Amino acid sequence: MITTILDILIAGLLMGGIYAIIAVGLSLQYGVARVFNVSHGEFIMLGAFGTWILFTAFGINPLISLVMCAPVLFLLGFYIHKTIFRTLLRSSKIIEIFESKSMLVAFGLMYIIQNIAILVWGSDIKGYSYLNSPVNIAGAVFPANRLVTLLFALLIGAVFYLFLSRTRMGKAIRASAQDPAAAGLMGVNINQVLALCFGFGALMAGFAGTLLSLCFPIKATMGMEYTIIAIIIVTLGGLGSIVGSFIGGFILGIISSLVSYIEPSLTLVAYYVIFILMLLIKPKGIMGK
Amino acid sequence: MLTLNTVNTYYGKFRALWDVTMQVNEKEIVALVGANGAGKTTLLNTISGLLQPESGTINFFSDRIDNIETNKIVEQGISQIPEGGKVFPEMTILENLEMGAYTKEHWKVKDETIEFVYSLFPKLRERKKQLARTLSGGERQMLAVGRGLMSRPKLCTFDEPSYGLSPKLVTEFFDIIVKLREMGTTVLLVEQNVQQTLEIADRAYVMENGRIVSEGKSSDMLKDDHIKKAYLGL
Repeated sequence: MITTILDILIAGLLMGGIYAIIAVGLSLQYGVARVFNVSHGEFIMLGAFGTWILFTAFGINPLISLVMCAPVLFLLGFYIHKTIFRTLLRSSKIIEIFESKSMLVAFGLMYIIQNIAILVWGSDIKGYSYLNSPVNIAGAVFPANRLVTLLFALLIGAVFYLFLSRTRMGKAIRASAQDPAAAGLMGVNINQVLALCFGFGALMAGFAGTLLSLCFPIKATMGMEYTIIAIIIVTLGGLGSIVGSFIGGFILGIISSLVSYIEPSLTLVAYYVIFILMLLIKPKGIMGK
Repeated sequence: MLTLNTVNTYYGKFRALWDVTMQVNEKEIVALVGANGAGKTTLLNTISGLLQPESGTINFFSDRIDNIETNKIVEQGISQIPEGGKVFPEMTILENLEMGAYTKEHWKVKDETIEFVYSLFPKLRERKKQLARTLSGGERQMLAVGRGLMSRPKLCTFDEPSYGLSPKLVTEFFDIIVKLREMGTTVLLVEQNVQQTLEIADRAYVMENGRIVSEGKSSDMLKDDHIKKAYLGL
């Protein structure tokens, strides 16, 4: 019994790492930049395919791709915000109008990126194997790549946390999340901060994509599932709370591992139940004030 | 130092400022008074670049600032202490102050400036690790002023700094404003507390329905029964 619980917990934490990174990304895009980015999963997919291509065609170690794919996606996100979303923001009189318009644009991005991916790579499942030798963690056996994934997720989370809490730009991002007008009065270039946050969201998606491709098969339509997971975690953790999203990722990871132990087909159902319950009982999330 | 020439600002189709012309000279305390909704905050936000005027010009020293972004205006030396303080609730007092020195030039000397702000408001030093949301209304206002000084502004604009404060704290704030001017900072002060404001100000502008309806030496205004009755509610 105790070993089962331990198994479930460990499996949950291993999955939770990726979830946490994905959710932190969406939290930056929605919580700060106010773009409800339903194409978040497509950026994850691009990160995964980038890593797969680099590995299968050029033999590049996926852990090196981690620092190659994500920065490219950062630039893509940054410039998408700078061109499309900034123009939308300028033409929207109030933020609610911007939110609804930007969500529609994100839907468009989702279909565009997904369909280009299908055209280029086809819609079948791809994958490669890397570090899949079994490792024994406290009696539970997992492929080594799962453990590597968790370690990198924790590392990315820690580095980003230090960036937000210690650096000038990190503080500007937090200030802008709390009160953009006041941050502007401090001399923060709000437009730049918003574009950076959208870019960082894509960066996180890129990291998550690489890490996912390490452990699981990938396909061009894989994005949607992760977008939904990210939305649920951001709601769970509290909109605008990046720490809440990180913790929420691990909570959802453990829940998913628990539910798949009982009945795997109910995982998505469980996610939605949590989502609805959170909205009803604690709409501001676990870290909401 | 600051010159506004026939400035018009709109919220969509609603015209909030009508041909506002005004001037603030170096080391003055200039008061901007008038009823709620007269356009005082709109005027400060237009100066700060949070709102763009539809027409007219704003000059700060010799530079035009009506067509540049807020962050550039802060760099030029104008700092607004917004209504209600607007401190960052989930950041510590120290972090709030650091944010005040966000522009590159001031970030380099932020530790010195923080010491200066602590000397003005010793309470902020005691609580520097506390989150701003845990502060009382008066303390938040103190933090907002301290944060506004972190960019070592040449011109400080205050939007109702005494709002919601106890009479004792109000008097303390007016003392601080006088002290700032003695140290060489120019002050543009929006206030509801008309009597006390006119007592410390050199000159004043009266606003009504988005227009400047009267201007002059504040000592004269305090003597003018018509202005006192018609616009100042005194």
